[in-house]
Amino acid sequence: MKGINTLINKKSLYNLLKKREFHVSFVLLLLSVFLFSNFYYVPEQEIFSNSTAEHIINSGVKETGSLNLVTAILYDYRAFDSLGESTVIFAAVSAIVLILSFKTLPVSSKGLSFIVKRTFGILTPFVFLYAVYVITHGHLSPGGGFQGGVVLGTISIIFSIVYGSAYDYENYSPKAKTILETGGALLFVFLGGLGFIIGGYFLSNFNPTRSGLGTLISAGSIPYINIGIGFKVGAGLAIIFYTMIQKTYVEE
Amino acid sequence: MIILEYLLIFLMLISAFLAVIFQEELISIICLSVFSVSLTALYLVYKAPDVALAEAVIGAGLNTALFMTAISQVRSGKKHYISEEDK
Repeated sequence: MKGINTLINKKSLYNLLKKREFHVSFVLLLLSVFLFSNFYYVPEQEIFSNSTAEHIINSGVKETGSLNLVTAILYDYRAFDSLGESTVIFAAVSAIVLILSFKTLPVSSKGLSFIVKRTFGILTPFVFLYAVYVITHGHLSPGGGFQGGVVLGTISIIFSIVYGSAYDYENYSPKAKTILETGGALLFVFLGGLGFIIGGYFLSNFNPTRSGLGTLISAGSIPYINIGIGFKVGAGLAIIFYTMIQKTYVEE
Repeated sequence: MIILEYLLIFLMLISAFLAVIFQEELISIICLSVFSVSLTALYLVYKAPDVALAEAVIGAGLNTALFMTAISQVRSGKKHYISEEDK
């Protein structure tokens, strides 16, 4: 009996149970067991003869005119889901601004050193060019409105960090960002309504300018929806960052 | 290619584990950034460039900036309230 008591040694066991690493590893172990038991019974990839994926792969390019099938799914076949996603971003921006904007003192940091300022002065136009490329070529190459919009929002973050937030406030005021965000969302809904009038159902691809496959102005309304989403996401993320770097306390 | 895949998965596991273990928040954020970069490379190995682009931009770029600002806000606010209590 004495040997067992010294072997278990209640106090050391209690200390082990109190440790943070033990808790973390216990939760991770439990999670991995449950995940494994769930995914172990997932059946092997079943190929149906008339599946949606096969239909999109076979005739997606013909139906939508978009070479990038992911964009074709996001902004044509499942465009209504993308509208829901942009509504989620809008709700997040509204909530963050509502909670954090009770004191609107902008942080007047002077930015980083001269070398960093010059370097980003050369680099930032190319970042903007890349963002515009990703947005406008969303139906031809990888990317799309969402990814390019986040790159657009990064430019505002670069301005706030490198040049100080006063520079960002003077050149791109929160009011202009709000107008851009609302304009992007309204463009999306307007194109959806236009598709309802022309094509017969909400967000249908109505092909206002039908030109050759693979050109910039092809794929009907997909590029315009991409532009709307890009401005909406970029301005929304810039608003979130700008609201978060505001002072939430009074400095003496 | 299989070796690269397993190497990236191993790197992701290590960086996720380090992000949980460290008490200092800044190191955890950097570890999450490393996690996102290796996940981006893994998406490229799996031939999903759209998702890779989104992951690189959001996970490695935007998340790091947002987390950094959140932590700096919390820290400076905490410092301010402690100094106010001392008075």
